[in-house]
Amino acid sequence: MANQTPAVVMDNGTGYSKLGFAGNDSPSFVFPTAIATKGVGGGAGGSGSGRPAVANKPSFLTGGAGPGGHLSGKRGTEDLDFFIGDEALAASAGPGYGLHYPIRHGQIENWDHMERFWSNSIFKYLRVEPEDHYFLLTEPPLNPPENRENTAEIMFESFNCAGLYIAVQAVLALAASWTSSKVQDRSLTGTVIDSGEGVTHVIPVAEGYVIGSSIKSIPIAGRDITYFVQSLLRDRGEPDSSLKTAERIKEEFCYVCPDIVKEFSRFDREPEDRFRKHTVNYPNGKSVVVDVGYERFLAPEIFFNPEIYSSDFLTPLPNIVDTVIQTSPIDVRRGLYKNIVLSGGSTLYKDFGRRLQRDIRHLVDARIKASEARSGGAKSGGLDVQVITHKRQRHGPWFGGSLLGQTPEFRSYCHTKAEYDEIGPSIVRRFALLGGPGST
Amino acid sequence: MPAYHSVFLDEPNQHLIGNFALLPLRTRTRGPAMQLPPLPADLTDLTIDASHESYDPLDEILSLFRANTFFRNFEIKGPADRVLIYGILFVSEVLGKIKPSMGRRDAEKAVMNVALDTNFAIPGDAGFPLNQAFEAPPDRNSAEQLRQYIIQMRQELATRLLNRVYADESNTPSKWWLSFTKRKFMGKAL
Repeated sequence: MANQTPAVVMDNGTGYSKLGFAGNDSPSFVFPTAIATKGVGGGAGGSGSGRPAVANKPSFLTGGAGPGGHLSGKRGTEDLDFFIGDEALAASAGPGYGLHYPIRHGQIENWDHMERFWSNSIFKYLRVEPEDHYFLLTEPPLNPPENRENTAEIMFESFNCAGLYIAVQAVLALAASWTSSKVQDRSLTGTVIDSGEGVTHVIPVAEGYVIGSSIKSIPIAGRDITYFVQSLLRDRGEPDSSLKTAERIKEEFCYVCPDIVKEFSRFDREPEDRFRKHTVNYPNGKSVVVDVGYERFLAPEIFFNPEIYSSDFLTPLPNIVDTVIQTSPIDVRRGLYKNIVLSGGSTLYKDFGRRLQRDIRHLVDARIKASEARSGGAKSGGLDVQVITHKRQRHGPWFGGSLLGQTPEFRSYCHTKAEYDEIGPSIVRRFALLGGPGST
Repeated sequence: MPAYHSVFLDEPNQHLIGNFALLPLRTRTRGPAMQLPPLPADLTDLTIDASHESYDPLDEILSLFRANTFFRNFEIKGPADRVLIYGILFVSEVLGKIKPSMGRRDAEKAVMNVALDTNFAIPGDAGFPLNQAFEAPPDRNSAEQLRQYIIQMRQELATRLLNRVYADESNTPSKWWLSFTKRKFMGKAL
């Protein structure tokens, strides 16, 4: 056991993939989940008819559904002609390559592309022998079991990996929050707020299991904040209002304020302190200076006041969180309020957690007060609302995976290649709960 | 958290015409408004607190303007909110008259032109955009009084707005204020 190889942790999200080894502090590679293939060949779309052979895949494995074997000989090497990640973005800028995103809304849509994406991730980026390593992959909540089976098929049959564990991202995000000093008991009960580039999810988790019926998602996330910053820059006629500039401003300058009117008057009173300047450098050596003002606090405000940005979605995030917990089973609600965990890049704004905690607490206190009044004199013991902000939020699910993947018992939770050969893909429909009660 | 409401909603003894409140103002222009004491020497428009006795609805309009213009929905909770709505819409209109190239002198001319114009629509007139929420005054006498009060509001607001837009010495309008010209509070304009 002493010289075990570390488990490989791969968190493939809609926007970015995070790759690395268990036990590490941060992922070794973070790049867009994008693949550039030659010509329009990728347009085939679905996984059904004849996926082209992939590097390192013996031809007999593709048999069955597609024309597989005899075609791959004629095809030559063009199947190997593809790029992933940042290289894919670069290649697609030139001629001859089309860019594809194999994951949509968190779920894998194009299995052929995903298989090639994984193969490059493993052999070109991580440079490991899959036979020697156990793999920890992630999946979104409510992922259909068929998708798990497909994943297992690729991991075991194409890559021949030693063992596999597939974990739900929200549960890993909970595990990542154990690094915060505010967390005393390492429980897997809590509400995860996962806000990435495309969408924000609020996911209640009770003792390691996702309460699927109560999950809510909000169509406001990182991309919307960028668009909002851009529109504010345009209103003001700044010299550069490209999406890239808006994104940089969002990441560098934005924070959450307690009250927007008070914040406006603070900008009036201390302008030198509040207004900032952002320099944009162009490749041709020129540069312009963009003033940064009210968007610093207005941009993240769209989580708490969606009305200022969108006209069709109006419910603030704190109200959504409250609804999610109220629709969960009554015996876990206390635990869900006490452990609200942030995850994803769009939760990194300064004081995001503090504002969220305050607003949720207001809602909860108002409800308790109302029910006390209705009951005629009964006193409530109160309800503890706590939002956990921690240092691993950005790659929360990946870090949680790294944390759990390094535990000594991790391997016993995995399904091994031998077990897969014995039982078949259906084996991955069930995994024992990693990090649950009973483990350290 | 929805848009911000007026702090004067609970003010006792409001003088009403229709359902528009004639709240006391801190102004030297003539008109029917009750006078509030002028600002003490240690305070300015920017530092006055809402609980101070000289704080008037126009201070409030200017401090809520930038936040509230982002909202399209606003629930009117009382007569004082109508003062707030009218003020915010007027500030929007006046800001639209200031062009980025104007010096303070030109801007003053353009803005005061609008503020001093006595020929504008008051609640109840056919041209007034918010007649669903505003009641017409009951008779001609009170209509004239309401008009005089609004004239007073417009002039004082215009002066104070100019002070904010031309706050620094540069003689160019603040682009931070001008960026709000395109936004429409409640989707309306005067």
